[in-house]
Amino acid sequence: MTKDKFLNQLNSLLKNIPKDEREDILQDYVEHFTFGLAEGKTEDEISAALGSPTQIAKELLANYHLEKVTTSVTAGNIFRAVWAVFGLSFFNLVIVLGPAIAFTSLIISGWVMGIALTVTPLLVIVDAVVHPGAFLLYHLFFSMILCGIGYFIMLAMYYITKWATNGFVRYLKFNASLVKGGLTNDK
Amino acid sequence: MNVQFKKGVLELCVLVLLDKKDRYGYELVQKISNQIEISEGSVYPLLRRLTKEEYFTTYLKESTEGPSRKYYRLTDKGREYLYELIDEWTEFSNGVNQLIKEGVGNNDER
Repeated sequence: MTKDKFLNQLNSLLKNIPKDEREDILQDYVEHFTFGLAEGKTEDEISAALGSPTQIAKELLANYHLEKVTTSVTAGNIFRAVWAVFGLSFFNLVIVLGPAIAFTSLIISGWVMGIALTVTPLLVIVDAVVHPGAFLLYHLFFSMILCGIGYFIMLAMYYITKWATNGFVRYLKFNASLVKGGLTNDK
Repeated sequence: MNVQFKKGVLELCVLVLLDKKDRYGYELVQKISNQIEISEGSVYPLLRRLTKEEYFTTYLKESTEGPSRKYYRLTDKGREYLYELIDEWTEFSNGVNQLIKEGVGNNDER
């Protein structure tokens, strides 16, 4: 990464920090590059040794928000500080866990419904065996209709599961790259 | 090595380097990275934090070659904190060394 790219990236990651302080922060890195270049290192070598701007920005933001909490305690400041300190792992937990629970419960309920409807004729037969007197042809026919509906639901669930799983996996990958700061491209 | 652990150690390294003399940022980073593998960029956030916590004061000094340098000076509060950290570190590393010694010793007996 070149010096300019490194500094620009860091600058844009720190956009929530007021200008004065941000410039002061960046000045340290500008200086670092200057000294490194004077020692004969290349811009690439220097930025590689510094590490990723994303990681550096995370530390700086956490420091900044924590300091704000200690100077003025408001709910917003606390929340921002907690958010910054837990960093992207907290983000990850909420963002992934919620949809994951909703997703799996929807899929499971779909399958349960399909299977339950499909096995209704079986239940009618069991009922007929246990209480021979209570058997009605009407029950059998009705259960066969339900069985047909259940069959179609299971068929539909098969495709929905496949489709939704793919979608969710893509979402996870997107999330992982977001968490690693991939959206602002690291390299 | 574990990131959190390294961060704690980094704090100690920075403080200890400033105990005898004032140094500028780049110098500190180089001194440390010559000895242990670190992401050099994470030293500056640390320096900022410790400055805000009044462990350091900073001043700019013109240099004959290159730009003016931002020097860090350890305050009394910082020095006190440094000695605390050194005690903690010594106790910790003695403990771990003792366990390593015992562990390796046992392997030899087998």
